[in-house]
Amino acid sequence: MDKSNTIIDIGNISKVYEMGGEPVYAIRDISLEIKKNEYLAIMGPSGSGKSTLMNILGCLDTPTTGRYFFKGNDINDMTDNDLAEIRNREIGFVFQTFNLLPRSSALKNVELPLIYSGMKKSERDEIARNTLIDVGLADRISHKPNELSGGQRQRVAVARALVTSPSIILADEPTGNLDSKTGVEIMHLFYELWKKGNTIILVTHEEEIALHANRIIRLRDGLVERDEINHHQRIE
Amino acid sequence: MIIAEFNESIKLAYDSIKSNKLRSFLAALGVVIGISFVILMGWVLQGLDKTMEDSINLMGQDMIYLDKWDWAGGHTNKKVDQRKDISYSQAKELSKRMTQSVMAFPQAWKWNNQIKYKNEKFSGLIVQGTTYENGLIPEGTVTDGRFFTQMDDQFGSKVVVLGSKAKETIFPNEDAIGKTIDVNGHKLLVIGVVKKQGTMMMDFVDTKVYIPLSAFLQIYNDQRRRSFTVVMKAGDQTNLDNVREEAKGLMREIRNLKPGEDEDFSLNETKNFQAFVDNLRIYVWGVGIGMTILSFIVGIIGIMNIMFVSVAERTKEIGIRKAIGAKNRSILMQFIVESAFLCFVGAMMAYIICSIFIFALATILPKFVPQTSFLSPVMPYEFLIIASVVSIFVGILAGFIPALRAAKLDPVDALRYE
Repeated sequence: MDKSNTIIDIGNISKVYEMGGEPVYAIRDISLEIKKNEYLAIMGPSGSGKSTLMNILGCLDTPTTGRYFFKGNDINDMTDNDLAEIRNREIGFVFQTFNLLPRSSALKNVELPLIYSGMKKSERDEIARNTLIDVGLADRISHKPNELSGGQRQRVAVARALVTSPSIILADEPTGNLDSKTGVEIMHLFYELWKKGNTIILVTHEEEIALHANRIIRLRDGLVERDEINHHQRIE
Repeated sequence: MIIAEFNESIKLAYDSIKSNKLRSFLAALGVVIGISFVILMGWVLQGLDKTMEDSINLMGQDMIYLDKWDWAGGHTNKKVDQRKDISYSQAKELSKRMTQSVMAFPQAWKWNNQIKYKNEKFSGLIVQGTTYENGLIPEGTVTDGRFFTQMDDQFGSKVVVLGSKAKETIFPNEDAIGKTIDVNGHKLLVIGVVKKQGTMMMDFVDTKVYIPLSAFLQIYNDQRRRSFTVVMKAGDQTNLDNVREEAKGLMREIRNLKPGEDEDFSLNETKNFQAFVDNLRIYVWGVGIGMTILSFIVGIIGIMNIMFVSVAERTKEIGIRKAIGAKNRSILMQFIVESAFLCFVGAMMAYIICSIFIFALATILPKFVPQTSFLSPVMPYEFLIIASVVSIFVGILAGFIPALRAAKLDPVDALRYE
């Protein structure tokens, strides 16, 4: 099998928590392969394990058992530092609650990942500006989060996720805190990013949002219920 | 790469202090006080050193004063009190018999004299009976007129040389030379004024009036007990040992001390001043160090506490930073820098407060307490460096544990924190 296009390859991963001495499986025996330029939705009701799966895919957490290869590198062998580097260079997070730093301007927020990757000031300033322009915030560059609307904040968050040109964008309920009109605009932004060749993983419990992806994985009780191609992809 | 993160940390620390001004100030108060102690202590010690240097230069480094009293307080007062006075004949005999010294001459003092000029009375001046040789040592350098001569000595001339402060007291706005003052009912002609030489321990020299010893003995011919001093100039520091040994041997003989008996006189040298200042120095250190350590402990606890609060408040932010790629050491650095910066700001405040305090104190206090005139109104800039280094060190120490806690936060838990 050709693995050159594979970004994420996980096999039989489980995450187990101890609760009152009893082992509780958040996810159990999940195997997945995610290729370049896929637009994947992870669906499921709350408690289905989708947050746990997202945290593991995003290298924020490590599985209790099972294998995880990210672009051919074994995540289980990595230190905290290595994982931080993977998150910095390869993964762009977009959260439901935006998670911007409230006291920093849009530009500063977008620049932050580049500071941690050690880029020079002049360079990172230019890249961060261009990324903000790309997401349609040319006139909001020096605004602070509290001076921006919800949709604009999420655009800043998307710019921050994009700024290091990561291998995957991991979006956790990106429209959950937005009104439906703004939500549609954000989904359109994701669609455009996907068209440009980005790989997107969308975590959601809303069927309508999930339908924007071209592949949908449904979780239930920590197990993969269905993994199917979406033939009715919605395009905003 | 680390520089970019470091700059970022400094900015964050600055923002953090700016947005929590009062809280930061209260947290840094212990450090402000601690640094203030260090600065003030250093300032006093430096003043003492300066004063000692001045005193030694004033006396000359080759002077020995054989006296009943021990100037540095090296012997217990009781023992010194029981010593017999050094009589005029003993002092004179020693002065004559000294061969190793360049000069040796007897001296006597009378404290708290009443001196009159016209109808005004002046008290608190010291009359020193001495010989013409006093005019040849640094203490007797005149700026105006002349010191008395061997002739004046021999004939007991009724002449007087004024210390600079004595001159200012008696003749604030007029020339003193040629005027006649009244000392204990005797009319004395002012023939000279000695240059100003006051430093903390020696400032009484400026309130002295010098008269020939022969005149002194006439004026104060009462039989009240009086102990004389023998002033000896070694000429060279390397000759001090010889002079000391000779003087000791001769004086033991003159005072009929048995072999093995303790000396009932003291040989005071400039190094005795050193001993005096060293005692004072230990005293200042003892008090200062104790208080400094105490306030630094309080300071460290204050800073550590506020850093724990800061870490807790910013758990979510730490989670976000970790999610976008901050390494543990980046987070560790961020909080240590913040803690060090907070302490540094505290130290700068302490420096400014102390500068103002020192200026005010050194300007005002000597007007009321002349003994404090050794204090300098200018804060030495070295203290800025000391304060910076100490405060940053304290900040790192205080910030380390909270920063470690922040660095070790689990990103998933931190992101979930509200």
